[in-house]
Amino acid sequence: MDRREFMTGAMALAGSVAMPALARAQQAAEISFFYPVAVGGPITKLIDAYASGFAGENASLKVNPIYAGTYQETIVKALTAHKSGTPPVLSVLLSTDMFTLIDEDAIVPFDEFVKTDEDKKWLASFFPGFMENSQTGGKTWGIPFQRSTVVLYWNKELFKEAGLDPETPPKTWAEQLAFAQKLTKRDAAGNVTQWGIQIPSSGFPYWLFQGLSTQAGSILANPAGDKTDYANPAVVEALQYWVDLAQKHKVHPPGIVEWGTTPRDFFERKVAMMWTTTGNLTNVRTNAKFPFGVGLLPAGKRLGSPTGGGNFYISKKASKAEQEAAFKFVRWITTPERAAQWSIDTGYVAVRPDSYETAAMKKYAADFPAALVARDQLPHAVAELSTHENQRVTKALNDGLQAALTGTKAPQKAMEDAQAEAERILKPYR
Amino acid sequence: MSAAAKPAKLPAGSITRTDPYAPTGLSLTLESFGAILLALIWVLPLAYAVWAAFHPSEFTTRFELTAPLTLENFSRAWAAAPFARYFLNTFVLVTLILACQLVLGTLAAYALARQDFWGRDVAFALILAQLMIMPDALIVENYRTMAKFGLVDTITAIALPYIASAFGIFLLRQTFKTVPKELDDAARVEGASPLQVLMKVYVPLAKPTYIAYGLVSVSYHWNNFLWPLLVTNSVEARPLTVGLQVFSSTDQGIDWAVICAATLMTSAPLLVGFLLFQRQFVQSFMRAGIK
Repeated sequence: MDRREFMTGAMALAGSVAMPALARAQQAAEISFFYPVAVGGPITKLIDAYASGFAGENASLKVNPIYAGTYQETIVKALTAHKSGTPPVLSVLLSTDMFTLIDEDAIVPFDEFVKTDEDKKWLASFFPGFMENSQTGGKTWGIPFQRSTVVLYWNKELFKEAGLDPETPPKTWAEQLAFAQKLTKRDAAGNVTQWGIQIPSSGFPYWLFQGLSTQAGSILANPAGDKTDYANPAVVEALQYWVDLAQKHKVHPPGIVEWGTTPRDFFERKVAMMWTTTGNLTNVRTNAKFPFGVGLLPAGKRLGSPTGGGNFYISKKASKAEQEAAFKFVRWITTPERAAQWSIDTGYVAVRPDSYETAAMKKYAADFPAALVARDQLPHAVAELSTHENQRVTKALNDGLQAALTGTKAPQKAMEDAQAEAERILKPYR
Repeated sequence: MSAAAKPAKLPAGSITRTDPYAPTGLSLTLESFGAILLALIWVLPLAYAVWAAFHPSEFTTRFELTAPLTLENFSRAWAAAPFARYFLNTFVLVTLILACQLVLGTLAAYALARQDFWGRDVAFALILAQLMIMPDALIVENYRTMAKFGLVDTITAIALPYIASAFGIFLLRQTFKTVPKELDDAARVEGASPLQVLMKVYVPLAKPTYIAYGLVSVSYHWNNFLWPLLVTNSVEARPLTVGLQVFSSTDQGIDWAVICAATLMTSAPLLVGFLLFQRQFVQSFMRAGIK
């Protein structure tokens, strides 16, 4: 039995199920595109529409979106495919995975496709805050697309009840603490029925913590991605502030706060202020049954917040023609108008300033001013923590943060341990 | 799992009271109490899922007995992804895998247990070695093989790496070894061919092992996630577990009510099947010695 016969037999077993793959293999001018969202969500419809719109304008090219689940699952899928020689031509993966992808030799820089002056202008048109996570060593490895940042959401009704001005969010760390103290309610037995503030700390506490540490005036990692600064006194001070909110002032739930259910606590009035991503804007808008506000994160020594979310990457193992086609698609989908529409439809931040000058965006922002908060915060935003061996270096910080929040380590000691661990991992990369 | 807690109790009920090993008095009370406690702990998450699934999402974390009941979560979950197709895919997948595993496993186990051939022990040792390797470690290599066959994004590709199951072969070989050689000889004297001996003598006697192994295999592949996620790209080939991801978007907030409804929905066939055939399963497990 040769291979062809075997395959026929195997396919007969699976019935019609095997057919799509075969049909797909026969078409050559196709860009496979891994996208980090699960099949069936509202975003898949948008991406499908983009893909068919692009195909309508470029008859010879076809973008084939493949929905691969969460970011974590998508990068596993993309790297597995890369190692077995058949990677997706284009993918959207976390901006922080840039060093990992470079180390795996999986992606090509965009610079080699940028030839004309128009291309150069396009490359320079993105928010610099987003490009910090997309460039290293003088090259551009990713193009920002599905990007977000951390903002403060507050419940205007609860502000009114507590005697605060419902239109004014806290502007500084001291105000944030004072407001939270007024907003925390206890019943007769002393149990808290409503928390003042909630900063989630499950899963990826480093991201929210980066808001605090930036505000305290520190930067967690250098642009080359080979050195961290976890034990900086400013970082320790930021962690101390977070720990104090819960343990000393008791205005923040103790221990680890679940990321996924924080918006739900907010809807159910269990918490009056929360820090979470701008990606939750549409969710909060649909589900909050009270007026809410969205504001910049309060300032410590300065304003600050990390950026987050996904970039476009082009695979190194794809053919030259496929790479060029993928580049064309990336340029097509990041025009000011499309970036604006994407932001309106999803709640992600539009990746270039001129998107906010488009008619569609102006109309939307007039209706829903909260959509502009992310843009106003971007000038103060810093790159999301990203280094070589990103998963492990970030985990060192996460473990330290969670140890401090649960009270098993003092902030100083927790950050010193995290820094020592990161040093050990990063030494070979210098 | 409760499967471990429950079988321990079952014989006590099914055997007459004069059993000298049956617990009595204080130890009976203690043992019953322990079993009930374990069962309660096991059933709690499931009970919570049922609660959350049948109530509006305001009541997900608020327990009021008078809360209104609703089926809306189920309809929302069903509409969130093409679940009908996913159910079909999962069903095809587990059937395909189990059928291939049983045929290959039976033949291999028979050869290893009763046929004398050169290199038999080495072959068996190699099969056993497969048991020691985590399937996850082979993912890249498996993917490469599937890509070479042009099978990426098919149900066949999900099934193929699992159809020669070392565990199944090992289990069946051990069972066949316990079949008295006299039965085999008697069948041969009557003129049965080796294949007939296998089908008429060994397979019927190994029925409990087949049932127990079938349950393990079906539930494992019903729940398997990573490999199907990696090797499939389209709705036509993806099983239920990959379809369930639609609810795990941490960027957009998590709705426990819908997640619980979807989880109950997708695990219902397995749960119902287990409850219906509980007695057979438990007995098979005891006879086959799998825990």
